Amino acid sequence: MLIKVPLSWLKEYVDVTVSTAELAALLHMSGTEVDKIERPGDAWDRVWVGRIAALDRHPNADRLQLATVEYGRGRVKTVVTGATNLVVGAVVPYAETGSRLRDGHGDGAAFMTLEPRKVRGVMSEGMVCSAKELGLGDDHDGILLLDPALPVGAPLAEALGDPVLHLELQPNRPDCLGVVGVAREVAALLRTTLREPALAPVTYGTLPSTALDVRIEDPGCVRFTAAVLENVRLGPSPEWMQRRLAAAGMRPIDAIVDVTNYVMLEFGQPLHAYDARKLRGNALVARRATAGERLRTLDDVDRTLAATDLVIADAERPLGLAGVIGGEDSEISPATRTVALECASFEPRGIGRTATAHLATDVSAAARRFMWPLSADLPALGLARAVQLLTEHAGATLKGATDVYPAPRPRPSVSLPAADFKRVLGMDVSAAEARAALERLQFAVRSDGATLTVMPPAVRTDIAIPEDVVEEVARLVGYDRLPTTIPAGELPLHERHPLPELRERARDLLVGFGLTEIVAPSLIDPAWLEMLGVEGGIEALPPLRVENPTSVDRSAARTTLRASLLDAARRNLRQRAGVALFECAPVYLPRAKDLPEERQTLALVLAGQAEPARDGELWLARPRPYDLHDVRGVLDALAAGLGLQPKPGTEVPAPGLHPSRSRSVERGGVRVITFGQIDPRVAERWELPEATFLAEIDLAGMLEEVTPRVATAPSRYPAAYRDAAFVVEEQVGYGDLEREIRASQKSGLESVALLDVYRGPQAGQGKKSFAVRLVFRSDDGTLADADLEKAMRRIEGRLAHALGAVVR
Amino acid sequence: MRFVPAGTERIFVSGRGNLSDIAELRRQAMAEVDRAADLASLEGVRQRWLGPKGVLTLELRTIGSRPPEERKAFGEAANRLKGEVAERLEARLSALRAAALDLRLAAEREDLTLPPRRVRLGRLHPLTQTIREVSRIFATMGFETVEGPEVEWDHYNFELLNIPQGHPARDKFNTLWISNPLGGDPDRPVLLRTHTSPMQARVMEARKPPIRVIVPGRVYRFEATDAYHESVFFQFEGLAVDDRITMADLKGVLYSFARQMFGGERKIRFRPDYFPFTEPSAEIAIDCFVCGGTGGECRTCGGSGWLEMGGCGMVHPNVLRGVGYDPSKTQGFAFGCGVERIAMLRSGTPDIRLFQQNDLRYLEGF
Ligand SMILES: [Zn+2]
Repeated sequence: MLIKVPLSWLKEYVDVTVSTAELAALLHMSGTEVDKIERPGDAWDRVWVGRIAALDRHPNADRLQLATVEYGRGRVKTVVTGATNLVVGAVVPYAETGSRLRDGHGDGAAFMTLEPRKVRGVMSEGMVCSAKELGLGDDHDGILLLDPALPVGAPLAEALGDPVLHLELQPNRPDCLGVVGVAREVAALLRTTLREPALAPVTYGTLPSTALDVRIEDPGCVRFTAAVLENVRLGPSPEWMQRRLAAAGMRPIDAIVDVTNYVMLEFGQPLHAYDARKLRGNALVARRATAGERLRTLDDVDRTLAATDLVIADAERPLGLAGVIGGEDSEISPATRTVALECASFEPRGIGRTATAHLATDVSAAARRFMWPLSADLPALGLARAVQLLTEHAGATLKGATDVYPAPRPRPSVSLPAADFKRVLGMDVSAAEARAALERLQFAVRSDGATLTVMPPAVRTDIAIPEDVVEEVARLVGYDRLPTTIPAGELPLHERHPLPELRERARDLLVGFGLTEIVAPSLIDPAWLEMLGVEGGIEALPPLRVENPTSVDRSAARTTLRASLLDAARRNLRQRAGVALFECAPVYLPRAKDLPEERQTLALVLAGQAEPARDGELWLARPRPYDLHDVRGVLDALAAGLGLQPKPGTEVPAPGLHPSRSRSVERGGVRVITFGQIDPRVAERWELPEATFLAEIDLAGMLEEVTPRVATAPSRYPAAYRDAAFVVEEQVGYGDLEREIRASQKSGLESVALLDVYRGPQAGQGKKSFAVRLVFRSDDGTLADADLEKAMRRIEGRLAHALGAVVR
Repeated sequence: MRFVPAGTERIFVSGRGNLSDIAELRRQAMAEVDRAADLASLEGVRQRWLGPKGVLTLELRTIGSRPPEERKAFGEAANRLKGEVAERLEARLSALRAAALDLRLAAEREDLTLPPRRVRLGRLHPLTQTIREVSRIFATMGFETVEGPEVEWDHYNFELLNIPQGHPARDKFNTLWISNPLGGDPDRPVLLRTHTSPMQARVMEARKPPIRVIVPGRVYRFEATDAYHESVFFQFEGLAVDDRITMADLKGVLYSFARQMFGGERKIRFRPDYFPFTEPSAEIAIDCFVCGGTGGECRTCGGSGWLEMGGCGMVHPNVLRGVGYDPSKTQGFAFGCGVERIAMLRSGTPDIRLFQQNDLRYLEGF
């Protein structure tokens, strides 16, 4: 959570003896992240502390006045102003002609440069400024009235430009939500003393239950302190308080709201104020809502409450969502004279649930603090401080106070051996050094040299185990002191991972074949899946959906890599004539009541021109589009490179692909490989050329096909070859021919190479002829003509029998 | 006496020649060889002197008709001359061939500034390259690369990492939640892992210490995408657990990583930080290698002189307990860093979106 700490406020509790930049660095390096140092005065140029020397009526306009401003060294200017809160002698910010200011009428972000100008016939030189024009707040109703003690003529930045530390806090440190908590850190870092606000103690149990009946009826409320204050005058809070609130990012409203906010910013403990007269039965009860109970909250929303919501109620009805947002019924109004103050402790989980359910992302400042583990010691501090401030600044008198704390939490204490510092950090920290560091942080420490027993300050709720104490010491000693060593223990297990290894080899091979790897978002637009098929999607399973997607195009977990590849191909084909892309990633296949199966998949696409010419170069290039044999060649080389032996599977249709130019094989219910040309209708939909070819491979299926490589020494004997042509029916595939040729020979056949496919009169109608070269070689000796003749007769016999092939 | 044709010239050969005739023959033969200007005329010279009817062949045949006391000397001299002529012919032949080849090669001159025949060059995606580099570096320190599910149970992503339901730190993770079209289990919420850290718990559940693993992979956040933020991105997790691993070991391992990845001069900085699943915790930064750590106007480090790389710390005892380890006997460290962050720094990539836009004009830079 980002909080803003004005340096001047911090200095109330601790002496800052270093520069603001050094302070920020010390905080940052000890774990309080400094997001930035804001210096509001940095933007002020030629803005001075001025004094109203005279006020005159504007001769031509009733609503305007002429203010004579003096701003030191005898400088005097007259400005025309419509402000009504000026009096002679008021000390105000004065901006000279030529200075740049925020536009008070805009959103506060725009700047304007002041020019001398005539207003209703009178020259106005410069202006007196509102808080908004200076970027000090939202107030543009009147001129910002400054402390009369400020030196007239001083640059305003010097007089008022208070640096503000923007601190990004982590939820383990709710104590730093208050300026006092930050001051505790600073005191520890600067080795100086913390000056906590001097609080007049509030005596509890002084409030008869007839005046205010405070009850806890649900353990979601841990502690409930309350006070009743009478004779409250509802005016503005003092100017110094308003300025601090504004600097810390809160808008000043009235004394009561401002005091509760001020205490929240000072200690991190939120409070809530009720008009005590509006409490029916004079009761404040922390209880669960009954489902369906209704409440109109301060943001003008009628809410229906759930049984899980913790409310603060009076004897009859809920008054507010506890710790989250107050209700209208008991709201402070100008007529309020008696105030009931609530300062309580809640279970953070319940607050979080209610805040999220009712306020979504617009969670109130109080709820955001209550969602962190605030100390249960804080309500007493917060209440005492609020009573003190309301007494001082709103004329209140304390009628009495009460503290309901059914199960007081013991102050945690942690014991640890002094050797733990070495054990965890790997560096020597003596018990004495640790003790000194902890005491700077106001920890109570007992040590016998071997063991330390430490008790953190009550506001620290993050110290529970020895490691927490070790971190406290380490961060004060400085993480810079940690040495750099290498683990010395026993060497761990180191397993092999066949699937990722196969995947990485496949990646390298494909890159070698000239394909480029893409990495696409794994969340896609579900409409993409529909676009892959001719009619509807290609996958049987609907994808996992993101319940709260950032946008619709990242709302489904992809069940195929195809859409991502087609999208990448389409976009790149606007720049070039051809693409060859692949991706290796899991696809997410839903399973009922379980995590999805994440199957490692490899997919590739070849589209457009196959020739790798650049920029339309034609020199040496023979342009040709990719064809089916390119994608088959890539797959063939990939299989060879990975050492795959195809295993049998079931041939299944390949939806979204050209029905006569595709192949898909299923094994064990999983498509292990699919490849082919995409259906021209799909191509058109994706704005891709018809010459678009893709392949999808399931890596686990591929892993099953890996055969161990057995290296054999090459034969020392010469090869002999025979060429032959076989005429077969058109439907016989070359693969059938080669398979039968190989099946006919137990050994000696080294290779079968296709020379030509011939269709024409010499083959005959509906027939074709495959010309092949058969290379024979034996490991045992030179083959004789007779051996070759025998082999050829066996081949011819087998082909004639199995395929009806005739030798041409 | 015979006359032997020799181009325009006739050479006198004495049928009863003596040794001084041999010297004359050598002079004539050598001069002819040296005069041959091309391969054809050289072949003519060979035939005339050494061919079946060549001068020297015929001369040698006269040996029988010589007086016996001359035969030996004459035979030796004539044979020696034959050898010398053959040698001279060979040398001349090589010289003529070399000259002819020189001519041919000179005529075959090519313009080497023409574009070459293009080879399609594939590229490995920069994120893959970075992940491989990370795995390789940590392998040198005994870390094994493992992978885990991206769609994950709340249990592993949060509960076992000491971030129970309602823990305020959950807010930081901007979780994307999953609904299962086949029906989910209402007691076991499913999400897209917000970090690679759930693999800490999975690895520890599946193995016994000592453990040293590195886990690269995709992670997800509900995040508006801009030049520095992605909702789908990559991290790598490191985990080392045994009975004595310390925070100094953590710093040492990351120091070694930083130097292997970004250069031997790099410095590393640990700053206290907070993660529910480590205690103590630290933010890791390396000194900015663009400005040399001086900061100032440097845009790479925003003027701080330091580049934040990720978070780390000692595995929280609650996490060890959650996977069934005994925190009094086991301890370890964990760290997590962004892959894109490293790839951007190493390549100067200005916008994180470039990684998943897959514009070849960008990818071809790797
Ligand atoms: Zn830099």
